[in-house]
Amino acid sequence: MYLWDFTALKPYWGLIWQGLGVTMLYTVITVLAGVVIGLVVGIGRTSGPRWLSAPLRAYIEVFRCTPLLVQLVWVYYALPVLVGVDMSAATACFLTLSLYAGSFYAEIFRGGIEAIDRGQWEAGRAIGMRQRRIFRRIVLPQAIQVMIPSFINQTILQLKNTSLVSVVAVGDLLYQGTVITAASYRPLEVYTVIAVIYFAVLFPVTLVADRVEQRMGAHR
Amino acid sequence: MTDTDPTLSVRDIQKSFGPLHVLKGVSLDVARGEVVTLIGSSGSGKSTFLRCMNLLEIPQSGTLKAGARQFTFGNGERTPRDAELALLRRDVGMVFQHFNLFPHMSALENIAEGPVQVKGTPKAEAHELARDLLAKVGLAEKADTFPARLSGGQKQRVAIARALAMKPDVMLFDEVTSALDPELVGEVLNVIRALAADGMTMILVTHEMAFAADVSHRVGFMSEGVMAEIGSADEVIRHPKHPRLISFLERFRQASGG
Repeated sequence: MYLWDFTALKPYWGLIWQGLGVTMLYTVITVLAGVVIGLVVGIGRTSGPRWLSAPLRAYIEVFRCTPLLVQLVWVYYALPVLVGVDMSAATACFLTLSLYAGSFYAEIFRGGIEAIDRGQWEAGRAIGMRQRRIFRRIVLPQAIQVMIPSFINQTILQLKNTSLVSVVAVGDLLYQGTVITAASYRPLEVYTVIAVIYFAVLFPVTLVADRVEQRMGAHR
Repeated sequence: MTDTDPTLSVRDIQKSFGPLHVLKGVSLDVARGEVVTLIGSSGSGKSTFLRCMNLLEIPQSGTLKAGARQFTFGNGERTPRDAELALLRRDVGMVFQHFNLFPHMSALENIAEGPVQVKGTPKAEAHELARDLLAKVGLAEKADTFPARLSGGQKQRVAIARALAMKPDVMLFDEVTSALDPELVGEVLNVIRALAADGMTMILVTHEMAFAADVSHRVGFMSEGVMAEIGSADEVIRHPKHPRLISFLERFRQASGG
């Protein structure tokens, strides 16, 4: 029977909090960047010029259809060789995670916008509204409602996906876990604590998400 | 009603969807205060023709005149810009078969949306207007109700109020009772009848033949993309001349058991 000893982690709490900070920072920044990319790409695909559609599609599929871990490693090790620009691990991670999130968000946004009935656009036109205003006042508010569940789902995934940055030695929560394990020889305690922290952060998010979803759908 | 001052004039409208030639040169002048009903079997082009009148469909050729605004299509004329179309549609309102109310807004907000967003009417004033219009269509108590909680007939009356809120010169009704349960048709027709009595200029596409005969100054029968016959309701519905109109009315009477 294994004897748990969480007191062995006592000297390392500072590192754990630091790692959590990095994880949260990467999540927030790459989600924000991903939303911007996703909006531009998603709207570009629904209402942009036709020639733009193929390259945007290509971007989305490349990032959706390769593993994030492969993308991270490729951007960090291969891209600098090809382009001749050295990139810090932090930059490579930021870039990859943002583009990865952006590709998924783009599809969520596009799906949401296209789910709105054509009649809504026509009704807006029929009262003299211009395209942009119809989009902003009529289509987007409804599309957001459609998008919210998959958006939150993807954002939760994004927080968990940041754990992959530990592979290129960025000091996130998981990376600190590896460091502490090496120093304390207590992998069970360390990885248990880390799993509990991820859960403790994300579970409340899902509760808030449920509330938001209910409130936004209240008039349905 | 005068013939000298058409509120809406559409001439020689041609419209194709791919290889499908839907309108083959259709014209109509509508005088101020006039009610014109378009009848015909499905696929005759009547709905497309109606949608050309507020340019939800852009014709390949022809002209459209609404008040002081004029549009010419074909012959290398450029497609009207978004802003020009928006201006036209302030003056030419439309009500749809499937209501197309904004589901994320209450009945009141649906009606006030146009005045506030398009005309810049102050919110309080627009809400007052919306309340008046709701009362006019008999839904004063539904101001704060969302569309999902309204019956089909109520939705359609809100949609009519929404179009009226822009104070249009002309109203287009595109089969506005076709999606309704039979027992709800009457309440919508009554609203339209009241508008006609108020002198609103209206063009209706409908399958309600008795209503058309009752409320319209003129009835037009469209068939295979042309205006096959047009005249007073009495002429067109009770004394049809065109062979296809005669068989259309015949089929109609059989279907409705009349």
